[in-house]
Amino acid sequence: MKACDLCGKGEATMRVSQLDKNGAVTEISVCAECARERGFTEVEKLKASVAEIIAELKTRIAEGDAKKVCHSCGLSYAEFKRQGRLGCAECYSSFHDELLPLIRRIHDAVQHVGRTASGGRKHAQMKMNVQKLREALSGAIQAEDYEKAAALRDQLRRSEEE
Amino acid sequence: MNSSDAVVGRWLAATGPEADVVLSTRVRLARNLADVPFTHRAGPDEHARTVEVVRWALADTGYMTSGRFLDNDQLAEPAGQYLTERHLVSPDFVASKAKRGLFVSNDETISLMVNEEDHLRFQVLTSGLDFPEAFTAAAELDEKLEGQLQYAFSPEFGFLTACPTNLGTGMRASVLVHLPALVITREIEKVLRGALHIGLAVRGLYGEGSETKGNFFQISNQKTVGQTEWEIIETIADISRQVISYERKAREYLMKKLRVEVEDKVFRSLGLLRGARVLSSDEAINLLAGLRLGVTLGIVNEISLEQVTRLLILVRPANLQVLLGENLAAVERDERRATFVRETLVHQ
Repeated sequence: MKACDLCGKGEATMRVSQLDKNGAVTEISVCAECARERGFTEVEKLKASVAEIIAELKTRIAEGDAKKVCHSCGLSYAEFKRQGRLGCAECYSSFHDELLPLIRRIHDAVQHVGRTASGGRKHAQMKMNVQKLREALSGAIQAEDYEKAAALRDQLRRSEEE
Repeated sequence: MNSSDAVVGRWLAATGPEADVVLSTRVRLARNLADVPFTHRAGPDEHARTVEVVRWALADTGYMTSGRFLDNDQLAEPAGQYLTERHLVSPDFVASKAKRGLFVSNDETISLMVNEEDHLRFQVLTSGLDFPEAFTAAAELDEKLEGQLQYAFSPEFGFLTACPTNLGTGMRASVLVHLPALVITREIEKVLRGALHIGLAVRGLYGEGSETKGNFFQISNQKTVGQTEWEIIETIADISRQVISYERKAREYLMKKLRVEVEDKVFRSLGLLRGARVLSSDEAINLLAGLRLGVTLGIVNEISLEQVTRLLILVRPANLQVLLGENLAAVERDERRATFVRETLVHQ
């Protein structure tokens, strides 16, 4: 057993390199107790804990991203990553910055070219609504529910004006 | 019952350009409604409303007069499998529990699924290598629907889809090619690697994950952002033309150097098809693929390319049962399949 160079009592379990004022390196052997008192740490262990800290930070950042939620449909980015599908058209704005690198990776591009949609038309939807209101109106008339019929008639007028 | 009585899609007529190698061309567009969550995240009411509004749009644009609209009940098995075998729907669409709708034109060139992964997924299938016809028809339907529906679209990302892999044009363009000579001469790997190298996907007869049964391969684009529809199509058409010329060269080579072996393969296929008493679907497809090679090479003259191509669909389990008008157990089905094929290919 080699005794500790510092206290001379404990069993030396660690080698410590010291740098003196002149820049010369000396090596001493110390026991566990002295090492703890003076804050000596094994380099290997130190490396491991730095890696742990970085990993921890990474997870926290990722968790922060994952907690991001689409303001329109409520899908979280974590859910998207799990199932690979977005929740609604708005998700593309909600997760815009997160999606950009992914889209680039898939398509080697991030700007659409090609056919465009003029947008803003909902003729089928409107016509369908009008048709439904008409049916409801004739139903109300047949049922002699004139109050309801009047309300439906007003609604129908508004829809037809749109 | 003979196969010529059966109704099959116009795309199976084998009359299109390069039909000796290319069975069909397909252009599929994915579109979503702006104000409804994507299918997997929408509720039952939203599913029902989407089906209804698309149905309305199809009626208003006049498409309904030349096709039919099927709802959930009409999509239940065996209809689901029947439609899948005819390349009109995806297996995922059939398996889905959500309220769905399907439009199919009478000639089966156009089909439109409502509430697949995207609200609308429509395709045009044409015979042979024919992107101009397929894309023009798909774009026409797209334009008409866009006059009725509000699509989810952003100037930056294009048409917005549930999965970012379909973003942008929302277009998947593909050709289904028959490459037996390249397989026999072992040149196939090289050729397909070329397609993969320029970013195209190569799959089996029934798309993703399916085997390359009977030496049929599907070549399609993977990228949908950053290229116009025509640029994407040109890339696939270019590689298709290359593949066609390689396959034809390989067929020529076989006829020059290995004529006896090729004739042997073709006539064995025909012999089994004409003689077998029990025939599974897979075996029938492989034999028909061998016969198809013989027909395109002029080794077999009394059978037309159209007959063989139609049979490739009609021998499949659900199509066979619908054709025979009976629900059959697998063993009985294999017997009836053999009889059906034998009667269709009887010496003329």
